[in-house]
Amino acid sequence: MITAAALQHAITAADWEALRPIIWIAGGALAVLLFDLCLPRGAHRISSVLLGVTSLVWAGGFLVRNYHTPYAAFGGAFLSDGFSVVFQGAIVLATLLSLLFVYTFEERISSAGAVALLLWAASGAMLMTGAGNLLILFLGLELLSLALYALCGMASRRAAREAALKYLLLSSMASAVMLYGMVLLFGVTGSVNFSAFLAPPPGNPLYLVALGLFYVGVAFKLGLVPFHIWMPDVFEGAPLPVTAFMSVATKAGMLAVLARIIYVATPAGLANKVLLPIWVVAALSMIIGNLAALSQSNLKRLLAYSGIGQIGYIVAAFAGATALGLRYALFYLLAYLFMTLGAFAVIAALSDQADEGARLVSYAGLAHRRPMLAAAMSFFLIGLAGLPPTVGFMGKLLLLSSVLNAGYISLAVLLIVGTAISIYAYAKIIRVMYAPMRHEVVAGAMSATWPLPWIAIAICSVAVLGLGLYPLVPSAVLPLVK
Amino acid sequence: MTPYVSVAIYLGVATVASLAFCILPGLLAQPRPNATKEEAYECGVEPTSVVGGRFPVRFYLIAMLFVIFDVEAASFYPWAVQMHALRAFGLGEMVTFVVTLGIGYAFVWKKGGLQWR
Amino acid sequence: MAVGELSNYVTLSAVLFFLGVAGVILRRNPLVMLMGVELMLNASNLALVAFSRAWGSMVGHIFAFLVITVAAAEAAIGLAIIVVVFHRSARVDVDDVTILKG
Repeated sequence: MITAAALQHAITAADWEALRPIIWIAGGALAVLLFDLCLPRGAHRISSVLLGVTSLVWAGGFLVRNYHTPYAAFGGAFLSDGFSVVFQGAIVLATLLSLLFVYTFEERISSAGAVALLLWAASGAMLMTGAGNLLILFLGLELLSLALYALCGMASRRAAREAALKYLLLSSMASAVMLYGMVLLFGVTGSVNFSAFLAPPPGNPLYLVALGLFYVGVAFKLGLVPFHIWMPDVFEGAPLPVTAFMSVATKAGMLAVLARIIYVATPAGLANKVLLPIWVVAALSMIIGNLAALSQSNLKRLLAYSGIGQIGYIVAAFAGATALGLRYALFYLLAYLFMTLGAFAVIAALSDQADEGARLVSYAGLAHRRPMLAAAMSFFLIGLAGLPPTVGFMGKLLLLSSVLNAGYISLAVLLIVGTAISIYAYAKIIRVMYAPMRHEVVAGAMSATWPLPWIAIAICSVAVLGLGLYPLVPSAVLPLVK
Repeated sequence: MTPYVSVAIYLGVATVASLAFCILPGLLAQPRPNATKEEAYECGVEPTSVVGGRFPVRFYLIAMLFVIFDVEAASFYPWAVQMHALRAFGLGEMVTFVVTLGIGYAFVWKKGGLQWR
Repeated sequence: MAVGELSNYVTLSAVLFFLGVAGVILRRNPLVMLMGVELMLNASNLALVAFSRAWGSMVGHIFAFLVITVAAAEAAIGLAIIVVVFHRSARVDVDDVTILKG
């Protein structure tokens, strides 16, 4: 048992240093609420967004500093290594870009509440990336999930509320299943630390049951194929900034957990048994996600299905448990971040509060009305399809090489097949945009634009092109073993 | 053991008696129903609406806030037990916790979440 | 704690867990489904505390505390969402939630 005195001695400034980015973001959320109480009406929206962006940028600065100083904080409960810092960086970036779409929230929704919840969700996801034991993992997961349930319902459309209800019921059940898996892991090994799972007591069938329940929860939260049914509905119903956040930040948090478990806490003797199901769900996600994307007429649904496929690619790179696979998976996560959020930014620029920018009809002949937007959307879709000269091409090439390198020939073939299917799905949108105008679409409905989505579009385009030409693959990414 | 013997006898008598009251009327009585007898109560007023109607939405809002603050209060307990051992560190953590809760509380209050309109 | 005693607790918690799962899958009333989820969380709590005693560590107790807090927050948010979805309809039933078809 830990005595209080030992506890006090264990915590040093370095511990707080590791946690500082998260503290800044969570504190930023509190500040957003406080400012909302003090400021006069009318200034709410801009002050919330500004405060949120400030705290995120600040946290990003601390992350850059933490990248080169790996440290196991709080006795290994929170691991601030290159691995988690890159994931945290992805989450911070995704939240930052999502915040730029906050203007698509309805007037009557408290934007301070929405921004604060987004920041808390982000800090939950960041806690997950560095979690060194099950407690911190569960804490981060629930902080993320609980904030998201509420965020999904923050619109007066009925669809948003239905999405919130579906997400709540299914996701909380998945959390509970995952929790039970964690509890059994604790029961089998007697420890909640990930490192303890490396040496399970031999011949205990409960260990595999526990891992199975745990992975079901992970697969659900990632939206991998047998457990993906909630994703399109929730993505379609939720408000745009929330959908954008969910498509990247939530996935990044859970991918970090999955990677850490695979790389640090999988006993060598069981690796084949553990990696096989991951292999299978990755393959299923790549094929079925992209197939289902073919028939969608709502951009948010399309991006949901495409996200299922893209996350499948990333998980495929984990399936070999090679160091190269992890580096390339992280690179592809960044690629996915910029491409998807770029597409969401175009939707945001086309939407007013009724969210019509998500309907495929809105894109008919877009190239003639808003050539810049149409070009940007095409660029991001080309990237998602994995064609040059975008980061999507480079990322997919690297993923493919790592999958081949790990010896999964069939997985590589499936990756190529999935990509080929997805090209059709994205080409459909591009064709709609560049089709000649048959009749005048009511232009007034899509006149509302704010400058903020344009900033997001600019950032994402530059990143998608730049990272495609100069792939900066993070180097120090192997998770710290504690 | 002895004090429980009387309890057991009492329990047995009570069970037999209550079962008898339930079963015997069905066996002995001759049913002659009429309209008055079929009423829910043989005295008093007929119910005019469904029992267990809907609560106002406000009720649920307050109930939700109660649940949250109630359980958060339970988090004080482990700290209170170990307060002396944890010293300034524990106090600092608890102050952070309370301030965070307080800001949430102020937000709810200011937004009218606690008003019973 | 004896091994037999531990397995009793774990069996009970497994039964509770599957009752919760059945509640979520079979029932159509979202309130009852939410109760099923809470039952699953409480099954975890029971197992946590039992394991914690068996291993002689305090971690399980702390974990159980965390789970209780989370369960309360989840119940509150769940109630809020259910009220928002159903406050105009006379019946509370997930089969009426049909705008989004997955």
